[in-house]
Amino acid sequence: MLAYILRRLISIPFLLLGVASVSFLLSQMTKGDPLAALVPERMMSNPEIVAAVKAEWGLDQPLPIRYVRYLGNLLQGDMGTSFSTRRPVALDIAERLPATLELVIAAMIIGTFMGLALGLLSARFRGTIVDSVARIFALLGSSLPVFWSGLILLYVLSVQLRIVPGTGRLPPRVQPPPDVTGFYTIDALLAGNFPLFLQVLSHLALPAFVLGWAVTGIITRLVRSSLVEGLSLDYARTARAKGAPERIVLIRHALPNAMIPLLTILGFTFAYLITGAVLTEAIFSWPGIGSYAVRAAASLDYPAIGGVTIVGAVAFLLANLVTDIAYAWANPRIKVH
Amino acid sequence: MADISAPVAAPARRSGGFRRTFRKLPVTAIIGAAILLFWIFTVLTVQFWPMAEPLDMVGRRLQPPSAEHWLGTDALGRDVFSRTMHGAVWSIPIAILVVACAVAIGSLLGAISGFFGGWTDGIIMRLVDVTVAFPPILLAMAVAAMLGPGLTNASIAMVIVWWPIYARLMRAQVLEVKEREHVEAAIAGGASPLRVLRVHVLPLCWTPTLINATMDFGQVVLLAASLSFIGLGAKPPSPEWGSMISEGATRFYDWWIAFGPGMAILTVVLATSFLGDGLRDLFDRRSQ
Amino acid sequence: MKHFKLKTGLAAAFVASTALVGQPASAQDSDTLVIARTLAVNSLDPSRAFCDTCQFYLTAVYETLVTLAPDNQSLVPNLAESWEVNDDFTEFTFKLKDATFADGSPVEASDVAWTFNRLKNVQASPSFLMEGLVSAEAVDAKTIKFTVEAPNSEFLNKVSAPYTGIINAEAAMAAGATDTAEDNAESWFLSNSAGSGPFTLESFSPDAELRLAKNDAYWGEAPGFNEVVVTEIKDAVSQAQALETGQVDIAMQIDPDTANSIRSPEIVTEVIPSYNFTYVGFIPAVDEVLTKEVRQALALAIDYEGMIDFTVGGNGVKQAAPIPNGFPGTADLTPRSQDVEKAKQMLADAGVSDLKMVAGYPNDNAYGVDFNIMMQKVQQDFSNVGVELELKPLTWAVWRDELGSGEWPVTAIYYAPDYYGSGQYVAYFSMIEGYPWAGRAGRDKPELVVNPKEAELYAKALAASGEEADAVYAELGQEMMDDAIIIPLVSPNLVLAYRDDIEGVRYSACCNLPLSEITRK
Repeated sequence: MLAYILRRLISIPFLLLGVASVSFLLSQMTKGDPLAALVPERMMSNPEIVAAVKAEWGLDQPLPIRYVRYLGNLLQGDMGTSFSTRRPVALDIAERLPATLELVIAAMIIGTFMGLALGLLSARFRGTIVDSVARIFALLGSSLPVFWSGLILLYVLSVQLRIVPGTGRLPPRVQPPPDVTGFYTIDALLAGNFPLFLQVLSHLALPAFVLGWAVTGIITRLVRSSLVEGLSLDYARTARAKGAPERIVLIRHALPNAMIPLLTILGFTFAYLITGAVLTEAIFSWPGIGSYAVRAAASLDYPAIGGVTIVGAVAFLLANLVTDIAYAWANPRIKVH
Repeated sequence: MADISAPVAAPARRSGGFRRTFRKLPVTAIIGAAILLFWIFTVLTVQFWPMAEPLDMVGRRLQPPSAEHWLGTDALGRDVFSRTMHGAVWSIPIAILVVACAVAIGSLLGAISGFFGGWTDGIIMRLVDVTVAFPPILLAMAVAAMLGPGLTNASIAMVIVWWPIYARLMRAQVLEVKEREHVEAAIAGGASPLRVLRVHVLPLCWTPTLINATMDFGQVVLLAASLSFIGLGAKPPSPEWGSMISEGATRFYDWWIAFGPGMAILTVVLATSFLGDGLRDLFDRRSQ
Repeated sequence: MKHFKLKTGLAAAFVASTALVGQPASAQDSDTLVIARTLAVNSLDPSRAFCDTCQFYLTAVYETLVTLAPDNQSLVPNLAESWEVNDDFTEFTFKLKDATFADGSPVEASDVAWTFNRLKNVQASPSFLMEGLVSAEAVDAKTIKFTVEAPNSEFLNKVSAPYTGIINAEAAMAAGATDTAEDNAESWFLSNSAGSGPFTLESFSPDAELRLAKNDAYWGEAPGFNEVVVTEIKDAVSQAQALETGQVDIAMQIDPDTANSIRSPEIVTEVIPSYNFTYVGFIPAVDEVLTKEVRQALALAIDYEGMIDFTVGGNGVKQAAPIPNGFPGTADLTPRSQDVEKAKQMLADAGVSDLKMVAGYPNDNAYGVDFNIMMQKVQQDFSNVGVELELKPLTWAVWRDELGSGEWPVTAIYYAPDYYGSGQYVAYFSMIEGYPWAGRAGRDKPELVVNPKEAELYAKALAASGEEADAVYAELGQEMMDDAIIIPLVSPNLVLAYRDDIEGVRYSACCNLPLSEITRK
């Protein structure tokens, strides 16, 4: 197992190189001319200005040189300058990353708890109507397009019923808490501002629910099947024979059995969460990486696209690494090809 | 992306016939199959249905659902129900095509990789590793942005996202089947590697791929709609579901514009996971 | 200008009282004005910025020599207290008021000269305003004299464009700015400002928020708010919702359809004519079948009335030439009307049949007009005369790129004024060789489109003023209509939507939304 983890760790730098190369190629072999994003149209016919802009953005160099420079800069944490915000991409991303992480983590917590609850319910009442309802609700989450369920929920809960506030992380009038971690929830608590914390939560609730719902399906299914499996095991039978009620058997004996697979699947759900986050952020005007990526893709802001794909890939790699290690730890006899 | 870590053994023979297989399927899987058949039927016949053309402006703009326009009209006075039904003509064939291409490319490379091993295996698998290192939507967005927005390019992007899954799946299957006795016997008997692969190995490797393809079908519909939603997929006026929702998103007081296409996507994705689940249970049970 | 109020609808019938956070409007912090819109800021550097948000940001933070009065036509003093123009409109001399920048230093003629030279020399988007500027020299500390190479009766109007806002030269130079092409202080302006206006830049985060703080040392009358926040809210419906819940005070991009659906009685919506317009542009150099006759025939195929209904629910007007209604010379121009039979006849006469074309346009919503909807209407109207139009909605960057490489013969975009004056439209849309649209439409074959008469008329217009100039602009407008390269489709009405405790919201042709005039009751 140790050898497996070591192999995975060693492969990471090579994968990162691959990722960086693909990002570079994607950002260079484009159909659009980056100059169109940089030079005002009225100036396009002026060769001097075009040359000056090319030199300024390093577009006058041949591809291999740009590639080496790009990798060199990346090592120093420099992802280039965004064409449209005119600021370092790394800075843009650093500013927006906490918003996305806060959303994703909140969604992960909501998704896990809903998945556990629904899994417990459907295992406890398996074969009954409760089981079906719980499973269908969970399945709906992973089948609904988040950009649609978000829209519908926003319409019903925010526009019609006014139970939840509208889009964004905070009402525009409200000053965000002093920046410590970038997570508004934590920063508000650190500042001792409890009303602000509640306000942050109320803004976070709907997008995090929409996103969390998307992973509830996988988690519910997993929890249910491990619980059902656990209930059929000897120790559960023994407990039942000793007169323990089904509820106790389920929670004391079968639930721990479900925790390990749950742990291993959390990394897997990360793929869903990233996909969902991009779309959820678009619907909820969430100022995170996802909306930045959508904007970058639409405006052919190649440095920004490259930066976002790299950051996304690193996060994804880490999540998968953690999953694999957890999986290897949980199943020591894993076959390694 | 279905759970690919669950190994599914291949059935050794085709048995039971269609009817018996069908009877063993859980009821949800049959419902799923029925929904999918309905959509395929829609794709094939929708142009003959007695309703408004999806591009015709047939009524007043932005009317809520009524007996005349079941799902109301959109900002151009087009019938949303008709557009939703015609949307299937875009979404379903594209998803079939994307899954088919991903399966073909992925399986071919995976089979080569698993069967021949060595440096071929190394190269193909490193390619797979790098591709799956990207979150699918970001990779698809970057590729679609690079090639230029449009449904064709979005489809290419989705094939790029999906082929590695099938490559891994097929490679794992081939590795397993390769060690079976009849294959070793065939190799020892001097049959050419390609023939062994084609006759003795591949026929036993398809089942997990097919189950996965069924489940992925819904996910492809979902991702295609997502790409259209953020403006990298289908272009108006084509009644593609994702772009219809995106139209609805900017007018969400008029909720009915997005309602139909959202429900359509939901039914397709639900149907494929019902059917895929059913199939997996079926083959799991058989193999035990 | 016609002002009329839309009925703001019935009181919200089912506003649930369980609002967790939708605080009542009375709980607002009265010192902050919150505005919802899409920022889409290209730059905050006055010499490089070129966007709608930039217009009112620059107006609030930097000040121009002269500005446009609320009648949207006459020029009134701003930093300049008076000005003189020589008889042939080539020399313009301004006397400055005793104004100060936000750092307390006086606004002097040297700052003005530096600002105008910089605007001209950095060769960025708004630099075209200063084309033909020969010199800007400080006569003394409070007197500045501009010389232009040819008569230009519109120069005064140009000086009211927010991009000519005066920069504190010393402060900017201390940060590394120069008034030459080598200047690279653009990023400094993203987090700092150096103007004399009633507000200063507090912070800017792209695509999210622009915060302005009151300039405590302002030399003029203090503005009504301590802080102005422009927050990014993308679509009209979300903006309306934020307005209804009291999260914002003003929503700048509400379209008439959405305005109709606003139920809250606390929201004021005014629908007023705007000077913005959307248009279809033909590019004959890409498809030479688009001769003048064919272009005119296609222009007759469009159902302009229906277009206004479809795109803005009837809240817009037709426009004849690519010069907005109400600008000099437009009073006597008659907008086109649909005439399908004549269009068909003209196409037949030109020997055109089975015409198929691609239209590339930005996939955007400008001034309430959804371009996909607009172009689908054009597509349908063209199909009535047997012309097939394939639509290609593009992101902005791709649109720019494909326009440059000549991918399609038909496009569509929009235009908003930078100051009051018809010359800017001639300088952009006329078929005078070397001008932007003549270049777009003619590409490497200018002979296909160039209309020599327009160059002559334009020179004449710039050498004249008053009614004489108006008459020449009318002729120019007619010529541009006949060119049929630019076909204006809709001049959408503008919705001013704000909460009822806000006063002083108005639309300015130069400056969009003058923030310093807004107060809370």
